[in-house]
Order: sequence, then structure tokens, then C-alpha cells
Amino acid sequence: MIARFDLDWLKRQNERHRAFCEMLEIQPEGESKFTFSAKDNLCTKDFQTRAGSRILEGYRPPFDAEPVKRLRHAGGLLLGKTNMDEFGFGTFSTNSAFGVPLNPFDRERACGGSSGGAAVAAALIAGHAALGVSTGGSISCPASFCGVVGITPTYGRVSRYGLIDYGNSLDKVGLLSRNVSLIEKLLPVISGPDPRDPTSCCQTQLDMSKDRSGPIAVPKECLEGVEPKVLDAFNAAVQRVSAEMGREIVSVDMPSLKFAMPAYYVLATTEASTNLARYAGMRYGVMGNEYHQHFNDYFSGVRTECFGEEAKRRILLGTFCRMVGFRDKYYLKALSVRNTIIQEYASIFKEYAAVASPTMPMVAPRFDDIKNMRPVDIYLTDFLTLPPNLTGLPHISVPCGYVGKMPVGMQLVTPHWEEGALVKFAKRWEQGFEYHIPEVGA
Amino acid sequence: MSVSFSSEANIMEKETVARVAKVARLRLTEAELDKYGKDLQDILDSFAVLDSAPSSENFDFNPVPVQDVLREDEPAIDIDPYELTKHMDSYDGYIRGPKLS
Repeated sequence: MIARFDLDWLKRQNERHRAFCEMLEIQPEGESKFTFSAKDNLCTKDFQTRAGSRILEGYRPPFDAEPVKRLRHAGGLLLGKTNMDEFGFGTFSTNSAFGVPLNPFDRERACGGSSGGAAVAAALIAGHAALGVSTGGSISCPASFCGVVGITPTYGRVSRYGLIDYGNSLDKVGLLSRNVSLIEKLLPVISGPDPRDPTSCCQTQLDMSKDRSGPIAVPKECLEGVEPKVLDAFNAAVQRVSAEMGREIVSVDMPSLKFAMPAYYVLATTEASTNLARYAGMRYGVMGNEYHQHFNDYFSGVRTECFGEEAKRRILLGTFCRMVGFRDKYYLKALSVRNTIIQEYASIFKEYAAVASPTMPMVAPRFDDIKNMRPVDIYLTDFLTLPPNLTGLPHISVPCGYVGKMPVGMQLVTPHWEEGALVKFAKRWEQGFEYHIPEVGA
Repeated sequence: MSVSFSSEANIMEKETVARVAKVARLRLTEAELDKYGKDLQDILDSFAVLDSAPSSENFDFNPVPVQDVLREDEPAIDIDPYELTKHMDSYDGYIRGPKLS
């Protein structure tokens, strides 16, 4: 696997699709084993790290995030940093301060979020691995909309040292690529314990050869509210899985899944509102300078000026959810509900090898249509990616059909630590189903 | 801090949003107080389904078991302090910040 790439070509592509917010300026000499990119919330020595936020303008970390470091050691060449929703707050990458990425199949449509730039890079560049990060579906969603493969490992599988936190009990680093072959090679490289991230130190060893046999469950709750043409594509894919891969498909009830959306948004915004307290114009990125001010005014000034609209909305929501009088009703209830959903998955996995569903209930929407969506409408579109993310379960999204030229994704979920079965499934799927590659200019 | 609210149906009154914003160190204009109040009310309305969710007894703060990892308490330089502070505004070895009172 030797990666050759033409930096001038990549720059032209980036003008069309805005995958990268920062990239190499000079064509590097020699060859590398593969090229990779890092979502902009992963710290890197040679590029700014801004997590899509103006408040981190100018921040240059003195170290590489652990997954970046491991991919470099494996012979990868880091091409640059990919655009994302500010701090991961979004479903379409439209909340990016440094360029909204445009879908590789139709530039008038979104790429999905929040790892939107990563999915575009994976779609455009052959032999490329894009490091993405998922809190509530930020790998699966853009993988689905951009027609690439995206794996979100088990919570704790990949070190988060050097990741800019969104929700500490939810954040996971994963990979996106045109097909599963590079993911199969690189997932073991980025996985494994790292003493600098305690959440990575309780993992069972990654076993890529371990498969899961048995039927695949499709929850009825995951088919309600899915756009008819997307549902048709998913049903056709499931029939192929049954006929060509010999896997029995069984419809099941998972009534607790409907609680995942509120439980996720309560936990994610609660954790985010405390994590973002550190951005106050003193240590990272934008500095305040007005030292004669009282600290409340100083902090409020920088934060008001530099946080984007959705970041402010989530900070407000999360701050509200942990206030006295509401903490039990929202935060503690959400923690309890997460456990209920984990238990429901566990009972399903006793009988079934995996849980399958469409990845998103729609194909990539047009930017014009996104403008008319209320914030709560956008949150509700995440209802298929939120359950595995809330519960820390590994999942993969593979292209499974097309509505016109727009890709549809199929998402597969397995028990904690069983990523090997996801990769094996994707490999067999790819043997019988050909992915479309976007037309890219010279 | 406790928050007063008139009814379950409409928690996000302007005054509540203003108090939340103050705690979060965000300044909001009158128009933003209205807009965020409406957005947050929509979102909280969609959370109402949580009330009907069955509770479970033993829940944790992480979705998988996590143990603390301790290391020997030995002095070492991990990252050169100069590298960490060179982009910050410092004075005489201290990081500059605003007034406390």
C-alpha cells in the first residue's frame, strides 16, 4: 500500500468541497504507506487545532493526539485537518466556523456531521483514512451521507489523549474510508490501552478474527419515520444480506430506543457545558487582553463574541439540565435510562449477532432545506445513531444503496469490544455490493 | 442555584434563560433571550418522554466499566512548560488574567 497524491489536485478539490480547514502547503518528498487526515478536534503539532470554533483561533498544541501519533508511526502521512461542526455540535457540519464542507455527490447538499470534512476526504481521496470522532453519531451520519464506510469503536477502545472533549462519557475516536480494507488494517493501530487515558485501560484486547454467528435483528422502532425511498434501499439491502450472505433477518421490538434521544442530549449537553467552561480567553486560542475588567465580564466577553449559535444553545441547555431542581429530573434520569437501554441491547445480543438499521432516516439534505429546520427537528434526525453512541456500543455504517445519486447507509451494532465482527460483516458485504465513487475533477 | 418556574408547560421564560446565561458566562440580547427560550422550550418538550422511561437501579457515569489508573508519583517533565505557555499572555513567569474583584 503506497500512497501517491498530488497536492495541487487536492487543493483544487478542496476549493470545491471544503473538506480541510488546514492542509499541507508543500508537496512532501518521498512516499508514505498511506495518507490520513485528522478531524480538527484532534490535537496536532504541525497544524492549528480549533475544533471548528473561533474561540480556539491560533491554538497550536505542542503534541499530537495519541491516534494521530500512532498513525504517523505506522507510516501514515497527515494531509491536514478536516472541517467539523463547532466542538462536534451538529448533524450537517453547517455549524463550522472555518468552512462548511459540500457533499461529494452534490455540492448543494450537506455532508452530514459532525465529522463532515472527514467523510468528504474519505470519499475524494483513494487509499485515505480519515480520523473522525463520534459523540452521538458524528462518524456514522457523514459516512452515510457521503457514501463511505465509517467505524465507531467501543467507548474506551481508542485513546482520547489529545482529543478536545465534547462529552466525556460519550466521545469515541474512529475511522472513515472509501471501503473497509484500510479500516481493517488501521483500527488495530489506533486501538489499545494508553496510560494517559484511563477510559482506554479497561478494554479487552481487540480481536479482528473474532466473528459473531446467528441472525441479525432489525428493530421495528428503527424503521418508523424513515423516508420511504431510504427505507426501500435499506430493505433491498437487507434482502441481499439474507439471500447472498446467508444471514437470517428478524424483526424485533426494542421499546427503550425511543428514550435515547432525550437521554443523549441531556448527558451530552450537560457534559459539554462543563467542558466548555475552560474556554474563557486565558489559556487557549483567543486571548481577551482586557485585564482591567472583572473576571465575569472578561470571560463573558470572549465567550459571547467567539462561540457560535449552536454552541451557545447547547451550553445553555446543559447548564439548565444540571441546575438545582432539574438535576434529578434530567441528568440523573438520563444516566438511569442509558443503563436501561444497555440492558435491552444485552438481552437482544443473547439471541442475535448484531442489530441493523438504516444509518440516517434521509439522504443528505439540501442546504436550503436545513435552513428551515428547528434545532429540535435536527436533534430528532439523529434517532438511529444515538442509541449505540449513548450506550458506547461499536457500530459501522456501510453504503447500502442509492436514491438517485445520493448514498444510503446501513448501520450495524455489535456488543461492546466486538469490532471484529463489524469489519468481517463489511468485508463480506463489499464482496457483493459495489460502492459508487463520486466524480472528481482533474 | 435554584430556578423558579411557573408551570411545567412553559419552563423557559425569558427570566430563566437570562439566569442560565449568566451562570454560563454568556451575554444574550433581548432578541436572543426570546429565540433561545423558544428553542430550549421545543427541546425540553421533546424530552418529556423521559418521564415515562423505566428507571434502573445500578447506573454508572460511563457506558462501560472504567477504573482509575495511577502512576508512581515521580517528578518528570512531560511537555516543556515553555511550549505550553508560549502562546499565553504571561508576565514574569505568571499567566495574565482579569481582576478577581
